[in-house]
Amino acid sequence: MSTGAQRMADVAALQQQLAAVGYIAERSFAAALLLMTELKRPLLLEGDAGVGKTEVAKALAVVRGTRLIRLQCYEGLDAHSAMYEWNYQRQLLAIKLLEQDDRSVAAKEQDIFSERYLLKRPLLEAISCTQSPVLLIDEVDRADEAFEAYLLELLSDFQMSIPELGTVAAVSIPLVVVTSNGTRELSDALRRRCLYQFVEYPSFEKELAILEIRAPEAAGELARQVVQFVQDTRRMDLQKRPGIAETLDWTAALLRLGVTAIGQDVTEAILETLAALIKTRDDRTAFTPEVVGRMAAAC
Amino acid sequence: MLKTASMPEAPDLARTLRARLAGFSGFLQANGFGVGGGDSSRVLLYAASQVGILHPQMLRWSLKALLCGRSSEWHRFDALFDAYFLPPNKKLFVEGARDTRSYRKPSPDESQDSAQAPGLARGGAGNHRQPSARYAASREESLEAVDFRELARAEEVCDIETLMRRLARQMKRVRVRREARSLRGRRFDLPGTIRRSIERGGVPLSVVWRDRRRIRPRILLLLDVSRSMSLYSFFYLRLARALSAELSDIYGFIFHTRLTAISEALRDADPWRAQEKMHLLAAGWGGGTRIGDCLRDFNRDHMARRVHSRTAVIIVSDGYDTGEPKILADALRALRRRARRIIWINPIATRSGWTPVSAGMQAALPHIDLLAPGADLATIKRVLPDIIESLR
Repeated sequence: MSTGAQRMADVAALQQQLAAVGYIAERSFAAALLLMTELKRPLLLEGDAGVGKTEVAKALAVVRGTRLIRLQCYEGLDAHSAMYEWNYQRQLLAIKLLEQDDRSVAAKEQDIFSERYLLKRPLLEAISCTQSPVLLIDEVDRADEAFEAYLLELLSDFQMSIPELGTVAAVSIPLVVVTSNGTRELSDALRRRCLYQFVEYPSFEKELAILEIRAPEAAGELARQVVQFVQDTRRMDLQKRPGIAETLDWTAALLRLGVTAIGQDVTEAILETLAALIKTRDDRTAFTPEVVGRMAAAC
Repeated sequence: MLKTASMPEAPDLARTLRARLAGFSGFLQANGFGVGGGDSSRVLLYAASQVGILHPQMLRWSLKALLCGRSSEWHRFDALFDAYFLPPNKKLFVEGARDTRSYRKPSPDESQDSAQAPGLARGGAGNHRQPSARYAASREESLEAVDFRELARAEEVCDIETLMRRLARQMKRVRVRREARSLRGRRFDLPGTIRRSIERGGVPLSVVWRDRRRIRPRILLLLDVSRSMSLYSFFYLRLARALSAELSDIYGFIFHTRLTAISEALRDADPWRAQEKMHLLAAGWGGGTRIGDCLRDFNRDHMARRVHSRTAVIIVSDGYDTGEPKILADALRALRRRARRIIWINPIATRSGWTPVSAGMQAALPHIDLLAPGADLATIKRVLPDIIESLR
């Protein structure tokens, strides 16, 4: 069997494994995930909010049967809260307790700066697991440039410097998934170290498949109509286009109201549940009863 | 490392393909891709040997993940891949293969300019090198109230630059509410102090405080260089240059009937060459202003990368838009959602009896935070503190 055909079979297998845990991935996306696990390179995911970037890491962790360690980035996140911190309170207590101890000062000091007093934050946690975990660095664009620079050492060498302990090398190399929403331009240095995937809004077929897995109660005609309606909504000129999570929410809302098929007769129910789909006031004003009725009739 | 043994059926073909593959990243670079780094071609070959070089679809997906770095590259990759790997008779016409947005490639204007530049630098730089600060200070006050139209002498232009740099320094660092460790500050930082005491054997000799963090705001300048603005655009380009010499996070664009990035020209070390470069970029486009279309282009191509929640957008224009006012209003609304502030500086607003009645200004007014007249340095000086304040 040639390399190419073997490879295609591997990718298809990964795709099926992901589908089994509820994540529908395109063949090309599965190919990139496979490449990422082989090359041990981080994967940078970009795309609009709600297209399933974070879900990738969760699904990957389940498929590989490992832990998911998540680092949510925010403005002002510094290296200490992301990597490690000393447990100052316990250290102070230990110093007091050790006063009665008759060991040498050096031994006491070594004790105070041992790993027992080290609080592991996500990044240190991720490189000290025995089985390589999935490390999700979520919304890295919200963190500052300085933090991005810290990340570079970790992502290229998988090691971390702690002044009091020395350099901590990775026990196992984690699978790193980095997501970004594009609120800030990421540095080229970070981009160069990563594999890249741009995640689009799902196609009709993909979204239908997701809906059938995640909301089996809505299977059949209703699922098809819901997806059609949401796809039409995304084509409108909106501030915030609905993502997959919104589609699932909206489906649940429709089911709760006992809607079994979308049509002009249920315009009222659609309007009542639009809050699950449309998230800004300006967008909401575009959905008049006439517009919704027309869209529902077209489904 | 390369598994040649795994492809025994066509060794020659595989070798040819590998050689071709090695040239692919160079091809992408020539098309404005940011691929690079010492190991990229090694990883490329390794990856190719893993994924099966003879399987086109697999190769495409893997290379796409490996070689793209941002969404603009992602969307152009497939066309470039086809152009490079498909045989010529199958090659599709590659639309947009030359990235017009790439800053790497000098435009015809720019390359023409660099040929002329030494002569210009010689002619200009002789008398008008950086003036001394003392000389500038004595002249500053009287300059402030002079309308830009009346300023033509070169030394006055240099004085403006000195004044602008001083203003730029004020907006270099803005304090925000969030706190961070610092050497001086308002609140005592216990963990920080204990940490610092480690290097002195546990004795807290130096105290660490927490204080409000300083941030650098981002400034985005959109300058109208149409014919109706020609009296003022020279001075605003100079302002842009002075600001970008002092601030690191500033981006400039000029527009007319289309939009051009000038950030690179702004950072040119030689002031006269930069000036000439920008003039050549700005010149040569006839016709009126299409502010709305230019802003819409900006939103589409640059907004995601250049505008964040601490960005002040400064638009300098007289508001005479020959395009559709609705386009301008929509573009500004989209920009307003993302930016911190939109400030519109209108040079003709200082003239007596001026009211914002033009269709462009009418469309823009609901979406801008501050409309400032800006025909002299004094008004600019008044506006800048507002801008700094608004970035907090």
